[in-house]
Amino acid sequence: MSWTVFFVAIFSSMLINNVVLMKFLGVCPFLGVSKKTGSALGMSAAVMFVMVIAAFVSYLLYYLVLVPLEIEFVQTISFILIIASLVQLVEMIIKKISKKLYKSLGVYIALITTNCAILGIAVENITRDFAGQYGLFPGLAVAVTTAFGAALGFGLVMFAFSTIRERLEGANVPEAWKGVPVSLITAGIMALAFAGLGGIVG
Amino acid sequence: MWAVFVLALMGGLLGLGLAYAADLLKVEADPRIEGVRERLPGYDCGACSYPGCSAFAEAIVEGDVKDLKLCKPGNNTHYDAIVDYLNDNRNPDGSKITVKK
Repeated sequence: MSWTVFFVAIFSSMLINNVVLMKFLGVCPFLGVSKKTGSALGMSAAVMFVMVIAAFVSYLLYYLVLVPLEIEFVQTISFILIIASLVQLVEMIIKKISKKLYKSLGVYIALITTNCAILGIAVENITRDFAGQYGLFPGLAVAVTTAFGAALGFGLVMFAFSTIRERLEGANVPEAWKGVPVSLITAGIMALAFAGLGGIVG
Repeated sequence: MWAVFVLALMGGLLGLGLAYAADLLKVEADPRIEGVRERLPGYDCGACSYPGCSAFAEAIVEGDVKDLKLCKPGNNTHYDAIVDYLNDNRNPDGSKITVKK
């Protein structure tokens, strides 16, 4: 296994298989918290924290506990348990660090629990069988790198989308399209642009 | 069998971890917020336009609320209790939080 594996993992999960625009996971915070660049970046940081740690813990849990005990069927609920606890922790940390960010993220912090991008990445790390391809612990490194890349991709798209939405505030949008409709169309065009990157890396 | 055991163990461990973290990362809040919240009806109905009684209590203590009647399920018993409580517990600089009822 060479270092290119990690490069490909970051690059492909960030740009080519972008969680939001190509897999359509995590669209709820994508539309909900992208009105201001500041809160979009705060959300991305929180998601990155949860996503990377959730990928790490869920991978180890799956291969060291669930597989030896032959109880792979509790995969989903045990992953959710991990993610939910991490989100609680993140909520406490954000509340401690920045009351302002806590207010601007509002209910969306708690909703990271149900952010399908995080569960999606954790489950995909298992279904893509990194452990079978690279061995247990190198596979863990690839899984965590993939999660990191996916979180970077989420942050990139959140940042781009929030800057576009800030510009849209001042744009002359037809009355019937103001607000959510024009945002959805923007998101669709962004997804088209990202589709153009498909197939660059296997 | 193992599934139940593993999930119970995970739940217990994560719960204990979170309880410890909650204690470690506690944010010092104005104790009067809790005092006001106890004196509200506690339905979390949102009729006051704040997200729940805790948020309403916080807004009262911060002086953002001018009229306690925003709390629709509340009656004079609740309003009087809150006004008395705020009269007894003034701001650190000695000024008083004034709300109508």
